[in-house]
Amino acid sequence: MSTPLQLEFRLSQAQRDRLAVFADLLISGGAGLPAATEVDVAGAWIDRALGARPDLVETVVGVLAEEGEPAEVLARLRAQEPERFDAFAFVVAGAYLIHPRVRKLLGYPGGAPEPSPAFPDEADAYLEDGILDVVIERGPSYRPTPEARG
Amino acid sequence: MGTTNDVADVLIIGAGASGSVAAKHLAEQGFNVVILEQGNWINSSELPGNKPEYELLGSGKWNPDPNVRAWDADYPVNVENSEQPVFMYNAVGGSTVFFAGVWSRFLPSDFRVRTLDGIADDWPISYEDLAPFYEAVERDMGVSGMGGNPAYPPGYNPPLPAHPIHATGRKMAEGLNKLGWHWWTGYSAIPSQKYRNQKQCARLGICRLGCVEGAKGSADVALLPDALKHGAKLITGARVSQVTVNEKGLANGATYFREGKEYHQAAKVVIVGANGIGTPRLLLMSMSGRFPNGLANSSGLVGKRLMLHPFGSVIGLYDDDLDDWYGPAGTQIESMQFYETDLSRGFVRGSKWHVMGTGGPVEMLTRWNIGEGARDEEFWGDQFAVKMKQAVNHSIDWIIHAEDLPEETNYVSLDHGLTDSDGLPAPKVHYATAENTHKILDFALNRALESHAAAGATKAWITHRNFSSGHNMGTAKMGDDPATSVVNGYGQAHDVPNLYVIDGSVFPTSSSTNPTATICAFAKRAATYIAKNARNQEVGA
Ligand SMILES: Cc1cc2nc3c(=O)[nH]c(=O)nc-3n(C[C@H](O)[C@H](O)[C@H](O)COP(=O)(O)OP(=O)(O)OC[C@H]3O[C@@H](n4cnc5c(N)ncnc54)[C@H](O)[C@@H]3O)c2cc1C
Ligand code: SF4
Repeated sequence: MSTPLQLEFRLSQAQRDRLAVFADLLISGGAGLPAATEVDVAGAWIDRALGARPDLVETVVGVLAEEGEPAEVLARLRAQEPERFDAFAFVVAGAYLIHPRVRKLLGYPGGAPEPSPAFPDEADAYLEDGILDVVIERGPSYRPTPEARG
Repeated sequence: MGTTNDVADVLIIGAGASGSVAAKHLAEQGFNVVILEQGNWINSSELPGNKPEYELLGSGKWNPDPNVRAWDADYPVNVENSEQPVFMYNAVGGSTVFFAGVWSRFLPSDFRVRTLDGIADDWPISYEDLAPFYEAVERDMGVSGMGGNPAYPPGYNPPLPAHPIHATGRKMAEGLNKLGWHWWTGYSAIPSQKYRNQKQCARLGICRLGCVEGAKGSADVALLPDALKHGAKLITGARVSQVTVNEKGLANGATYFREGKEYHQAAKVVIVGANGIGTPRLLLMSMSGRFPNGLANSSGLVGKRLMLHPFGSVIGLYDDDLDDWYGPAGTQIESMQFYETDLSRGFVRGSKWHVMGTGGPVEMLTRWNIGEGARDEEFWGDQFAVKMKQAVNHSIDWIIHAEDLPEETNYVSLDHGLTDSDGLPAPKVHYATAENTHKILDFALNRALESHAAAGATKAWITHRNFSSGHNMGTAKMGDDPATSVVNGYGQAHDVPNLYVIDGSVFPTSSSTNPTATICAFAKRAATYIAKNARNQEVGA
């Protein structure tokens, strides 16, 4: 796997502990997927996500500093500051969704896109039962160039 | 000011799609070509596509909105008066480094909108005029696709075989067949086999974040290496501030900034291919005593008639495993069912549809959160896992492009209060989506929902109803009459006969489909004309 992007800013342990609570509220797992803390979202993976989106550090730090129970904070943000909620939830979910285990469980091949060039007859295989015939039989649908110009 | 002693035969401003087509053609014809490009080469190792966080990087540092990513090479765009953001990339290869590679010729009716539909304007050229140049650039850019499409006149036969339509295209094709609607395998400027400078597509599906494989037919891969091999000189990091004119009013070169220093490059002929936003900006910045309203602007149309070509999108979820991340990302299948005018629908012109690869899990997350209806459902907490499982690997995504008709109230002007890193004024975009465009999109989105139902979707929703596409057109209209157009059918400025504009700025109308095939074909036609006409060309230096 490639080296994570370097983020100069680092969250404190207290911030990470609080983030973990927020993250599990957003992503509580089930349906064969782990909860956020089970894949260390508040540890290495939030660092990685914020390394890719350093512009969202301020949002994350700001939300963590909001007073109140995390569930209440999230409900308040959602109702009153939806853009801030979306940005926070996006980066937390982003941290979760780049985790290789999560990707695998979602059925996505590989941590990052992996080369899989088509084999020579693959294109034909999708068409060989004549699925395009009806389209061809209907004939031309374009309007040809008229002779005169207006 | 620094100057170079060499007078270029041809100076090209912008190393994007159009500039690179012209550079390759003219260098191969033996002209001494200089290209000025404000951006730099992007090394494939810098690109985000092979990193796990590629989707997050795509929404930040590699965002298509120059105001968000704010690279040094970018200029800011004032969008206060625009309903839409404006997308483009400023780099060697221009926006094609990050385009989806969807290759789509315009249809014959696109060139005759006034004659056929009584609205907007005809082009001074026809489909048949461009056909040989489409063919030529299809060979140059490794276009893959299948001939025989009844939506087009005969003769649209890309040089490389079509890519697989994949499970997504197949599933939707079955639905469209039930409805009796047109579809065809997608066309991409992406080689299905190794081809000239281009590798075979490895189906990473991240074409919009740059092709780490070197497969996609972006200008930096497919065109510029040939231009450079034939002696073209590319100056990167060179931001042009003005096309200069001599005492006769002929273009004689351009002034540019590089690393904070000002230079002048002299030239006999000047070609501008700086994108539908960058081109009017440059022409307006090139005002002088002789051209007080901006260069080549006696018609007053430079910057006017901006068409941002908004798109809509509809995603559907299916029980089947669909491998919905496969590339080429841009198009698996396409449909021209609703392309041509049918007045019973309540609007003129139409839409072009293509099934795109949905991409990775973060893309799917976004679709849940921006969707009409879907956004109001519970998503976070317990539902997150359920919904992501239901969607990733199970989606088909329609992208729908609507024809955007030209309006003089949609335009680009200069904002002297907002400047780029060289102190040059930013373009200010004034844009509101017209009612006809809205109607096309609303109609098509409802039909696309029906197509998902026919294909067996368990759920479908609209993810965009009207959003910027990165197709910036119309701001230096071509036409035969100097009073109502900026350039003629070869891109030659009516006011300045050795100045050519060759990008999508010149389009009198936008079509309903992706523009780059036509931008490249037009640039090829203009370059061919310039080469053939060289002996009779009035020159400025
Ligand atoms: C995300 C995205 C996806 C797209 N996908 C598709 C697709 O699938 N199919 C399709 O048909 N089209 C697509 N497009 C549109 C396509 O990229 C453009 O139509 C095409 O690149 C336009 O070509 P151009 O030559 O006009 O401009 P560009 O390719 O944008 O190149 C213009 C160049 O000029 C340079 N320049 C501008 N001003 C100056 C100056 N003052 N001095 C020096 N240099 C300057 C810029 O830096 C830039 O490199 C997409 C666009 C985007 C943003
Ligand atoms: S799908 Fe093909 S063209 Fe697109 S990025 Fe991957 S290899 Fe390149």
